[in-house]
Amino acid sequence: MEDKLPKEEVLHVADLARIAVTEEELETYQVQLKKMLDEVDKIKEVKNYDEEMLICPWDHEASLRSDEVGEVLSNQEVLQNAPSHTGNFIEVPVMINE
Amino acid sequence: MKEYIPTIGLEVHVELKSKSKMFSPAPNQYGGRANYNTTVVDLGYPGTLPWLNREVVSIGLRACKVLNCTITRRMHFDRKNYFYPDNPKNYQITQSRTPIGRNGFLEIEVDGTFKKVEIEEMHIEEDTCKSMHKGDVSLLDFNRAGVPLIEIVTKPCLSSSEEAMAYLETLRRTLFYASISDCKMEEGSMRCDANISIREVGSNQLGTKIEVKNIGSIHNVGLSIEKEIERQKACLERGEILREETRRFDDNLGETVLMRVKETGNDYRYFPEPDIPFVEVTDDMVEEALFSMEMLPKERKEIYLSRGISSVNVEKLLQNKELSDYLNTYIDTDLDFVVGSNLLLGDISSFLNRTHQTLKDTLLTKEKFQALVFKISTKELSSRNVKDILDDLMETEEDMDAIISKKGIENISDTTYLEETIRKILLENVSSVEDYKNGKDRAVKYLMGQIMKETKGKANPSMANEMLLKELSKQ
Amino acid sequence: MSKYLDLSIQEIHELLVKKEVTPKDLVVECFERIKENETLNAFITLNEDAISIAESLGEVEEDNLLFGLPIAVKDNIVTKELRTTCASKMLENFLPIYDATVVENIKKQKMIIIGKTNMDEFAMGSTSRTSYFDAPKNPWNKNCIAGGSSGGSAACVAARLIPFALGSDTGGSIRQPASYCGIVGMKPTYGRISRYGLVAFGSSLDQIGPMTRNVYENAVLLSNLTSFDEKDMTSSKKEKEDYTRFIGKEIKGMKIGVPNYWMSDIVEEEIRLEMEKTIRRLEELGATVERIDIDYIENAVTLYQIIAMGEASSNLARFDGVRYGYRTENPSDVEEMYRKTRQAGFGREVKRRIMIGSYLLSGENAVTYYNKALQIRDDIKKSFEHAFETYDLIIGPTTTTVAYSLDENLDDPMKSFMDDILVIPVNMAGLPGMNVPIAFNHNHMPIGLHIVGPSFGEAKMYQLAYAIEQDKKLNLNPKEEVA
Repeated sequence: MEDKLPKEEVLHVADLARIAVTEEELETYQVQLKKMLDEVDKIKEVKNYDEEMLICPWDHEASLRSDEVGEVLSNQEVLQNAPSHTGNFIEVPVMINE
Repeated sequence: MKEYIPTIGLEVHVELKSKSKMFSPAPNQYGGRANYNTTVVDLGYPGTLPWLNREVVSIGLRACKVLNCTITRRMHFDRKNYFYPDNPKNYQITQSRTPIGRNGFLEIEVDGTFKKVEIEEMHIEEDTCKSMHKGDVSLLDFNRAGVPLIEIVTKPCLSSSEEAMAYLETLRRTLFYASISDCKMEEGSMRCDANISIREVGSNQLGTKIEVKNIGSIHNVGLSIEKEIERQKACLERGEILREETRRFDDNLGETVLMRVKETGNDYRYFPEPDIPFVEVTDDMVEEALFSMEMLPKERKEIYLSRGISSVNVEKLLQNKELSDYLNTYIDTDLDFVVGSNLLLGDISSFLNRTHQTLKDTLLTKEKFQALVFKISTKELSSRNVKDILDDLMETEEDMDAIISKKGIENISDTTYLEETIRKILLENVSSVEDYKNGKDRAVKYLMGQIMKETKGKANPSMANEMLLKELSKQ
Repeated sequence: MSKYLDLSIQEIHELLVKKEVTPKDLVVECFERIKENETLNAFITLNEDAISIAESLGEVEEDNLLFGLPIAVKDNIVTKELRTTCASKMLENFLPIYDATVVENIKKQKMIIIGKTNMDEFAMGSTSRTSYFDAPKNPWNKNCIAGGSSGGSAACVAARLIPFALGSDTGGSIRQPASYCGIVGMKPTYGRISRYGLVAFGSSLDQIGPMTRNVYENAVLLSNLTSFDEKDMTSSKKEKEDYTRFIGKEIKGMKIGVPNYWMSDIVEEEIRLEMEKTIRRLEELGATVERIDIDYIENAVTLYQIIAMGEASSNLARFDGVRYGYRTENPSDVEEMYRKTRQAGFGREVKRRIMIGSYLLSGENAVTYYNKALQIRDDIKKSFEHAFETYDLIIGPTTTTVAYSLDENLDDPMKSFMDDILVIPVNMAGLPGMNVPIAFNHNHMPIGLHIVGPSFGEAKMYQLAYAIEQDKKLNLNPKEEVA
């Protein structure tokens, strides 16, 4: 078994995760991610009892909120932790038009 | 030139009319001062969790009902993962495995033929925040983040721009009447994406699908579809191969322009939302959702037509829900709906427009309206008379009779009405007419008596006398 | 120097009621102890307001055992206006604008938050060495790891710097460091304690829990942390309980299961021997102990990787430099902002897990890996439920080894998962699990027992844990032992 992940695959997952990768990091990831994927691949060998999935061990059905308006944040609170803001707005570098 | 068949599917997003947001108690309003209507949940702060609003589910159930969808009784939410600055958590909470409704339909009418537009599914999801572009930066306003939406997806079952527009108009009106959404496309509370493809006549295989995103009005949806069909035809005629792409409608150019070529399918990495347990839709919840639901346009139309209102006026009434709602309060009475609707669409509408009021702002009581309609249908009041008294009816607390006597229109002086009455009397009393011709003046007196009787003594005597003599001279 | 913080909480409470000591004295002593033990690196941030809060608490509440007592909070639980970093550069200067529900609860009890404890970055790790602020150290041997991810919480309680700490446990992060440091740590049933305000790692696995010097104090603290919280839709509506109610009751007749896998050679021999000794004592005390098999527990690490990393890749997507936290300097566009912010803001372990998690959810993998993992997860839960039809509780060792050297296993991406191999299955099934110290190894490093209960069975677990604690009477104060 190849003990390295192809570079393109590492770059693909880094892209999904929006994480920039240097050349040096790329090599380390090729090895490390491969090790981790080999471990998760073991799932394919496991036989399950049935098709039922456990998403989360909730002990009850959802109880829903009644439609009432509550307190909101002040504009100052909204902006307090933002790395960049203009007027009332949080600011980011220009978005590619969707 | 070859013949092509267009196939169109529509995806419509509407914002739901709840008081608070989908997952937080912030007010469901935006458009005011930026970033004043948010909580830590809407900003996607670390540690926050979604807190689902019961009313959003309730409105969703109502939408299922009016769009004839099968309700998913045990439903859940999913995360749709994608990075974008208007998406606070960089995932959107939506429903992919268990949409609240499936397999519905909406009936539309195009040129007198009816068609059922099939609805594939509808699901609940949260809205993104609003962004504004200024030079090399974008400014974010999170007031809209977390506003509840439903997305309604049709099957690819529409075949023309007319059908698409009729579907959107019917959908808009239905959702508006069911208090699901304001459905204002110009304000963004209703948004539409269209998937358009064409295939050659005789071919069973659907053509390449082109998506036109975020079209701003029903009219433009129609235009986009027409332009897109033309464009795709021209491409195929030139022997080009169409590729899947996303386009938008450019208002200025009046045509669709390319946004991006679709990659090998967007990788949204959907997975079940662990932060929200399953929602069990009980019979009680369904009942509660439908309890306060108003009559839908389709049923209103049937009733109005059966009570004699012209289809032109039915259409006008349905365009003005306030007037239609008002007329509906008389459904269980024998009110003359023809006269009633004329009155509402005519003099009352002009009054409301002129004074910038709604019916609720006026002093028009149920009694006054009923009396007015009655007097019009029995011809006791002429259209002229109505114009004279309407302002008083709407603006004062005086009753009908008081207003009529104040205005001095106790006696009927409507010439048309009198003329008709006189002709009727003359027809019914042929012998008296003969007597008059034979010089018996007494006959005039007898005929005047009949006229007064017919009008319950309200005819203006001198006017009636004059008109009677004039009518007799014609005989 | 005063020694109030070596007393039991009942003794401290008595002194507070008699006004022989004030909350402020306790806070001052607590700060002194932290200062003296700075090399432990147990805290990331100290609460500068603690003394003024202690002064403003007012009259002692006689029936509130927790009144005026200092508590440490793991740094992934948000505290309003008190820096919360998740041990990450990403949140190095982050001041939350709200309190976690559990923080509201401890404030209601008039407990005083002393500071925020060190941990693995975003709770990802088993040694707390992935912290951006350097690893905390084990009070029993400062060359060893304190465990993780709640390493700082375990270290500060073990070193007797403070009686209470809150930890969080996604795949053993309370129990494993509690075992390495020789303290009592409880991961309650999923849904017992509100997660609102706990920075999510694996949403369907995360639970907050108490970490304390002894069993009784653990049960008292837990009694005051649990409450149904409407802001956390996954929080349970079960009635509040007094978890101390079975403490002191004899364990005669109790039926206990020991999974064979947990006694297999994946566990160091010395630990297995201590387990055997403990099992014999339990039998002498009247309990029945039997070997059992729990299907799928040997697959738990694989499942954990898929589920925890999948969820984490989504939960940590919000750290993007837009609304809070670190943003890279002068990005040219949004995409560059994302990529460089996340490249520099997250450490290696976190990035690896996010990338693997994204991969596991992408395209067809969601079915091959994620859905399959959820199916087997359901099976694990069922096989535990099946076991609890026969047994009151299940026990085993908490860890396969004792705390190891800070320099060991630094670059093995799998080691951090293997350290938690015995404790992870419990998170899969949402069950309560706890560590109670049972012995020391030949180097005098603590060995812990793992007790697993059925859903919402914490009170019974405390009963057993207390019986063992009383039977062993270990000296768990490292200052006295190691000096």
